[in-house]
Amino acid sequence: MNSAFYLAVRSLCWHRSRSLAVIFSLAVIIWLPATLRITLNQFRSEISARAVSTPLVIGAPGSRIDLVMHSLYFRSQPATTVTMAEHQLAAESSGVTAVPLHVRFTTRSQPGVDGAPIVGTTPEYFTFRKLTPQSGELPALLGECVLGADYAERSGLRTGDTVLSAPRNALNLAGDYPLQMLITGVLARNHSPDDDAVFTDLRTAWVIEGIGHGHQNVDRQTDPTLLLSNEREGAASVTAGLAVLPYLEITDQNRDSFHFHGNTSEFPLTAVLAVPATERDRVKLLGRFSGSRQLQCISPPQVIEELLSIVFRIEQFVLMFTLAAAAAALLLLGLVLNLSLRLRAAEMQTMFRLGCSRLTILRLQSAEVLLLLVSAAAIAVAGGLLARSTAAALLQQLLL
Amino acid sequence: MIAIRDLRFAWTDGPFQLQIPRLDIVRGEAAVLAGPSGCGKTTLLNLICGILSPAAGLVEVAGTDIGHLADADRRLFRLRNIGLVFQDFQLIDYLDVLGNVLLPCRIQPSVRLSPALRERGLELLNQVGLGSFSQRPVTRLSQGERQRVALCRALLLNPQLLLADEPTGNLDPDNSRRMVELLLQESRRSGATLIMVTHDHSLLPMFDRTLPFLQYLARTDGTDAGTSA
Repeated sequence: MNSAFYLAVRSLCWHRSRSLAVIFSLAVIIWLPATLRITLNQFRSEISARAVSTPLVIGAPGSRIDLVMHSLYFRSQPATTVTMAEHQLAAESSGVTAVPLHVRFTTRSQPGVDGAPIVGTTPEYFTFRKLTPQSGELPALLGECVLGADYAERSGLRTGDTVLSAPRNALNLAGDYPLQMLITGVLARNHSPDDDAVFTDLRTAWVIEGIGHGHQNVDRQTDPTLLLSNEREGAASVTAGLAVLPYLEITDQNRDSFHFHGNTSEFPLTAVLAVPATERDRVKLLGRFSGSRQLQCISPPQVIEELLSIVFRIEQFVLMFTLAAAAAALLLLGLVLNLSLRLRAAEMQTMFRLGCSRLTILRLQSAEVLLLLVSAAAIAVAGGLLARSTAAALLQQLLL
Repeated sequence: MIAIRDLRFAWTDGPFQLQIPRLDIVRGEAAVLAGPSGCGKTTLLNLICGILSPAAGLVEVAGTDIGHLADADRRLFRLRNIGLVFQDFQLIDYLDVLGNVLLPCRIQPSVRLSPALRERGLELLNQVGLGSFSQRPVTRLSQGERQRVALCRALLLNPQLLLADEPTGNLDPDNSRRMVELLLQESRRSGATLIMVTHDHSLLPMFDRTLPFLQYLARTDGTDAGTSA
């Protein structure tokens, strides 16, 4: 080993508390602004990529950011819904593929596993987002669903298992009722919010919402514990037993009994993704909805750009303070190193008297500083890599 | 071994002045520079080893006019030909015993640490009874052991001249005597010329010669040079 580095290593090891303090202080000084920049860049590119791949979104009037966050990331809930009629309107525009979304429910949380949004949609969504099953197949029948890769991983659910929806209000007995869905497949990971969602068809989503329902025969022939009493045989007034399922389940036996009341064109959607084939189709569609008071048609890239401009201003603000703190910390570190060198003046004088040049002494001191910097940089890089894998996702959770 | 002619040296910020018309020390001689602390003995030692340059005159060590060498040559000459033992020994705390002995090879790019030099370092430690301590931190050594490590460091490159600057300055009489005995024994074993600085007059009889240092002092303010420290 080079003598300067040998002496530097021995000195740093001997003064290990001081060395560690300096290394970690330097590492934080390097890590903080660099990681902030890397994380925000990653966040920016991920959020932009999703927005750019979604040309237009149609939804109820309200916050444009909320509508984009809802339709792209399944995060916030729009205050009001649109209907299948609006979807139909968009779908009828020439050169436009309209993909309906119904995202109002989540799966039931388990201990340590948060529920995932249940996305009711049509097969066009899978084509549009290039989602393919890694195992199993896409849902084809009422009551079936397919899981995103991340949700499948964290919930431990697999093809053939079942998953329960969570009611929005457990105390509202007349409201939505949990639906037990059959998992027909798990999607291949595509590093997007789709990985942490559960997809089903629109009709299943409406069943969860209580718009559609089936019927269960509460009689003693099916199960003697289902019917506790039926004072007037043949009348509608019955007393059901505890054996009546506390959730809905759509099976091959009862699938045909499920039906919907009302006009399908009035059934709710939370958003419609519109994919025009050409720029002309896009402009036409925007024009079609521009005067509407019941709807808004927005371009997600524009909305995300607005959001990112806010993030950018915050970033500049944070970066400015970080750099000011780093400058103060560097001054303190300089003072520490200076005091340390003064304490070691006798050692340097000994080396000089033995025959060491002042340049060599400077080289010895530089080797120590270099080792401190390299060690700090290595820790900062390791910390940066660690942060890179987690911070962008964390930021998405915090900001979206 | 050492020839000094018409040497003049003065500090720019004080009355101290050193004048040596003629001083010769022969090879293998053990000489002692005695005088009260602060009277300039170390200055003469620094002139002999080339740390300081004379204002005028000649300082010749082993046939080389060290006072007129370029700075880099002077440092290399010092490292290769002159062994230095300092007051308090000035060992490096973060190096172990062998590391301190081998320090001269770590601070001068032209003197490379070779297996032969490492062997020489271990051999010197064996000679002074510290062979089994080579990996021990110097902070865990007794005063006597530290003396011996400092001496081994000075002898590593087989110097022709050994300069010891008050190595007994902070030692009790017994340890002082042991240190001088060790210096004399090792310098004689290696054939090196020894000059030791001390203010302890009880040690003078152990040397071949006591240099008349006070005669070399002159003061620009006209006071008696011989009595001032």
